[in-house]
Amino acid sequence: MAEKRRSGPVMSDPKAAKCETDHEFLSQSGVSALLRGALLKLVESRSEDPIGFLAEHFGHLSSEVDDGGSENLTVSRSLWHLSLSHHSQRSAFNNNVRVAYELLTQSAPRRRRTGGVRGVVYTEVLRCLCSEGGLSGASAAPLLQCIQCHDYEAVPFELFRQGVLTCSVFADYIRKSQCLYAAVARAPDRPAERALCQAVLATLQEALETADGPDVARYLEASAKISPAKLAQAMAEARPPSQQQEGPTMDAQEFEDAAAALFIARVRKVT
Amino acid sequence: MSVEPVSCTIKSPVALQIGDTVSDLSRPGVYITDITLAEPVNIQEISFKNYYTAYLTVRVQQREDGSVKWVTCLRNHCLMANPHAEAGSHDYFSIYRQQDTEWDVPAWLSTLTPVETSLDLKGLPDPETVSSSIQQMWALTEIMQASQNAASIGRFDVDGSYDVKLLSYM
Repeated sequence: MAEKRRSGPVMSDPKAAKCETDHEFLSQSGVSALLRGALLKLVESRSEDPIGFLAEHFGHLSSEVDDGGSENLTVSRSLWHLSLSHHSQRSAFNNNVRVAYELLTQSAPRRRRTGGVRGVVYTEVLRCLCSEGGLSGASAAPLLQCIQCHDYEAVPFELFRQGVLTCSVFADYIRKSQCLYAAVARAPDRPAERALCQAVLATLQEALETADGPDVARYLEASAKISPAKLAQAMAEARPPSQQQEGPTMDAQEFEDAAAALFIARVRKVT
Repeated sequence: MSVEPVSCTIKSPVALQIGDTVSDLSRPGVYITDITLAEPVNIQEISFKNYYTAYLTVRVQQREDGSVKWVTCLRNHCLMANPHAEAGSHDYFSIYRQQDTEWDVPAWLSTLTPVETSLDLKGLPDPETVSSSIQQMWALTEIMQASQNAASIGRFDVDGSYDVKLLSYM
């Protein structure tokens, strides 16, 4: 590896010269800032593979330095940034969304660099986010239909952030609905009873439809509707213990689609 | 129905304290003011100017068919939000006959299942687990909705061709 040599007066004391050179070298080249940034990202993401994470991080940084990467590469780099933190880590998530947004806007050809991220790129990012979040194409399609925009349109930052957040939250929501189905089914090899599924989803829908008002009052009212006692009551009414035979069942996909519909009904369609 | 002031005699406040007034030097927290009316009358409104009283209780002596009884009309009505601060210490107050000190109990509170009723949960899924998942799903939907309310969707800029200073006929 070629070593950079400092051009300047030669110091009389070799030992002191070496220390100064090392220290100045680190600050001049910006390595200490680089390392600090890398460690900060690592701590934010709490990766299980720190070395792999750092390798990816520096790999992305070096390719970002070479200007004019292909658009696919830019999309994958911005997706990597978006994967660094969970949406619940609010400030880290917002920072990463900002970095991803800047990447995507700067990668566009100069004459088209106005207004925000190109619609086709935005849609691609959202689609990849959904699939990385474990959503199948069929599960993600209704959501994407709501929030994607035309290929030629330009997406400003706030809308970009909102779309990214919605996809991340939706992925978590679907995962939770799968856990919910498993809880209602009570056994992994048996489908859940339709009456119970419908009762459980109905309580969620009722909580979601809590009337507008002061936040605190709304939260209290909604949480009262989905308390364990309320659910026990709803389930007992849907399937009385006296009923010996098991009624019709609902499979996991149908349950997931019904739960997804409740979420997507509340997503504001982008117009 | 017109409201007319009623003449009354207001006695000076008497401290309510346990023990001998003379020997006990501690300052009490409760004072009682007696107001005597010349003749029995239906009181509609009591107006007064406060002077560092935090809570007010109003008791009325009612005469019914010869018997006399004391009725509490208002208990611990808050006049000063913080008894140690100045807010409300010199304010004017009016208390009306229909004064309702009870806060409106929300309708949903009454629908909560009482703890005493035990439900037969044999063969049903565990309500705690089900409730936990549903609560998280509800919270996630709330997060999504809250982010939507914050962001304002502005006009879409059609790729630079919509520039006020530069008309493009592309």
